[in-house]
Amino acid sequence: MQLKMFVLSGAAVALWLIPLTALDKRIGWHKSMQGLTLCAAIACAVTAGNIARELSEQGEIEAIKERAITADVIDEISTSAYISQQQRLQEAEQILNPVEALERALALPDADVERSPKPEIKQLAENGQNGALNEESERAERALQLRAKGWGKAKIILEVWGVSKGGSPKYKAAEAEYKRLTEGG
Amino acid sequence: MRAMYLANYFVAGCIASSFLGWIASLHPIAFRAITFLASAAFTVWGLCWLLDFSVSSLLKISVSSLQAFLLALLAAGAIGAGVFLCS
Repeated sequence: MQLKMFVLSGAAVALWLIPLTALDKRIGWHKSMQGLTLCAAIACAVTAGNIARELSEQGEIEAIKERAITADVIDEISTSAYISQQQRLQEAEQILNPVEALERALALPDADVERSPKPEIKQLAENGQNGALNEESERAERALQLRAKGWGKAKIILEVWGVSKGGSPKYKAAEAEYKRLTEGG
Repeated sequence: MRAMYLANYFVAGCIASSFLGWIASLHPIAFRAITFLASAAFTVWGLCWLLDFSVSSLLKISVSSLQAFLLALLAAGAIGAGVFLCS
């Protein structure tokens, strides 16, 4: 396409200048030839101009396509980076929020917990168990202190477990724990 | 490539100007007609040059583009006529 354009451009200039300089205007057929070559030269120049314009427009379209592809790639990279950042943030939040992680770990069946390869979840579960043991020992200590002060069983259970005397299952459970703690201690 | 197509159209303008000169050399009546046409075109060219802001807003192109086009037109006409007269 480019070769055609260059040939047509050269032909236009040649057909314009050579007949005008080489041929004699006073001779009839020379003059006719000049007219014909000038018409042909105009046609060649216009055709070459059209081809060059098409090539120029194609080049602009290619440049636009290239810019669009580059923008797409940049957008994709930034989106993936944003998503991975969000994932890291979520993982960090899960690690920093032990209550939620503990709840999730406890919600799993025993077999799943045993099979769970994540050590941090196991650690969080152990921490939770330790917390429960600490709470129990605090209750035992508090119950023993109150008992040493001469408080009654019902009053101690009301103070430490927050359960009033009666036949409710909560009271029975608290009573059983009270007995276990005080007799064990 | 943009320069190539502008150059080709410029060359086409030069050749067209030479062709008008060739037509003018055919017969005295053709000469008068071409002279009238050339003078009218030159008048229009001068008006466009003077009223460049109005014409550019009418054609929806920038003033610099209009001035470049007018100068290229004048140069093509002068070169084409000069080539024909000197040959």
